[in-house]
Amino acid sequence: MNETPRFNRVLIANRGEIALRIQRACRQLGLETVAVYSEADADSRHVHEADIALCIGPAAAARSYLDADGLLLAARLTGAQAIHPGYGFLSENADFADAVEKAGLTFIGPTGASIRMMGDKITAKRAMREAGVPCVPGSDGPLPADMETVKAIALDVGFPVIVKASGGGGGRGMRVVERAADLAQAVTLTAKEAEQAFGNPTLYLERFMQKPRHIEIQVLCDTHGTALWLGARDCSLQRRHQKVLEEASAPGITPQTIAEIGTRCAEACRRIGYRGAGTFEFLYEDGVFAFIEMNTRVQVEHPITEETTGIDIVAEQLRIAQGARLGIAQADIGLRGHAIECRLNAEDPFTFMPSPGTITRWDLPGGPGIRVDTHVVAGYTVQPYYDSLIGKVISYGATREQAIARMRVALAEMKVEGISTNIPLHQDLLADPAFAQGGVDIHYLERWLAKRTAL
Amino acid sequence: MSNRSEQMVPHFDRLPEPEQIGQMATWLAQAGLESLELSNEAAGLKLRICVGQTASGATAPDAPTAAQPDVSAGLVAVKTPYFGHLCLTHPQRDSAFSPVGAKVAQGDIVALLTMDSLQLPVCAPVAGTVATVTGQAGALVGYGTTIMQIQPD
Repeated sequence: MNETPRFNRVLIANRGEIALRIQRACRQLGLETVAVYSEADADSRHVHEADIALCIGPAAAARSYLDADGLLLAARLTGAQAIHPGYGFLSENADFADAVEKAGLTFIGPTGASIRMMGDKITAKRAMREAGVPCVPGSDGPLPADMETVKAIALDVGFPVIVKASGGGGGRGMRVVERAADLAQAVTLTAKEAEQAFGNPTLYLERFMQKPRHIEIQVLCDTHGTALWLGARDCSLQRRHQKVLEEASAPGITPQTIAEIGTRCAEACRRIGYRGAGTFEFLYEDGVFAFIEMNTRVQVEHPITEETTGIDIVAEQLRIAQGARLGIAQADIGLRGHAIECRLNAEDPFTFMPSPGTITRWDLPGGPGIRVDTHVVAGYTVQPYYDSLIGKVISYGATREQAIARMRVALAEMKVEGISTNIPLHQDLLADPAFAQGGVDIHYLERWLAKRTAL
Repeated sequence: MSNRSEQMVPHFDRLPEPEQIGQMATWLAQAGLESLELSNEAAGLKLRICVGQTASGATAPDAPTAAQPDVSAGLVAVKTPYFGHLCLTHPQRDSAFSPVGAKVAQGDIVALLTMDSLQLPVCAPVAGTVATVTGQAGALVGYGTTIMQIQPD
């Protein structure tokens, strides 16, 4: 850490488990924390643990966690000199990052310019291609207005293609087109939806990969030119583009292959002057990586990388924001063992309907290789206003088999009453032969769920 | 406040012309502010201009939770509509807005929330008599904090 730290009090502009995770990292580094919370989160754990806690608005996120002006005002009134945005909410809002810095505060994350570049999928892809990161074949820019030209591009790329909104992400604003005959209608519809959803009708298209896996590379960059890659995560088990279970490393992909793509990601970070933690997301099929997007923030699934590298990613975010140099070199990063994360949601394990309510029993698992990141305690009430994530169980083992075995025991030990959780879903997945083999594609879970419903 | 508006706010030794009041109301609305109070105690004059906020204005703070009577005592809590430093006395006077025992009408300003140069009124949810003042003057209070209780008429 620098002799004169840039900040010693951090405002955590988030809620739930990630707010507590950030608070822990701050406290371990001797930094004071400011918890800003909505009226609905007054009983949250990190609120009680904070040096300063301030209710900034009602439950509605627009008036609390998404209120950029209110957050800046709260930082000023509480004397916080830095803001950690966590994930979701304002974490990838370039204007907010700029406003924080303009107010003379430190934004714990990349510059607004980096966020803006990655937020626009066309500029992101262009920057990545120029930096040598492999991208899926596509239109290499916005689709022209002339439909004949669009058709020519699509034929050149090869059907099936996926038409995507430049301002989209997270599975929204996209449409798969199987045949040239359906292209014009798909483009018109997607543009209209994109205009409505993101205020930006710009589209691009890419070849649609049929059975890809979701593989992502975690990076960590300081402001002195060091950019590190911390191995890969396999997040292929998804439902409606929401990750359910993640693992590190990616089963069946050789360390050499990961090292090669990781090196390119780190090099791209150096080229664009990236700062802080970030994730390059790829589709992976038949040995080919295709860049989809970069997440310019800490991710929900960061703990599995922490387990396999021994690096505290959130603490490093804070140190980097202080202006410190990364104390590790790429050669020091060993990828040891295997880690799995099960996201615990307050939802029905079959219908996926949210299950808010008061948790009457909350017995956590333990033992070697088990980590639980959660803001929940017994008696906690899951609010209906926010996402249903109530915690994460992370298992670590010397091998994938050991990590799975430890996770099985952990989930069996975990007792939750008062609400429904997706623990039974995780238990079924862990017992699935295809999962046990490893390397399922991103559509596997939805197919598996469809089959389960049919039975 | 800019120099321009300083000049254009009339010297408050008599009631401003209706057009001037209208102009000030327009400025308030444009600045996303709710009310403006001019007072000249020597002349015994006080003018309060309130404007209804439209969607284009800044966030119009609404009541955190509906005023609910404390069943046991029949008291109604006064809750803060935003966060800020609590100011219980009028900035230009030494007296408290609404000390214990004060009679208040619904909508009366009973306190202010100060955020740097901004001030936001905390208004009485009901008419009645101030029964308790629990808010600490100068303290940083959060949204929805009970700062006093009113015994309704």
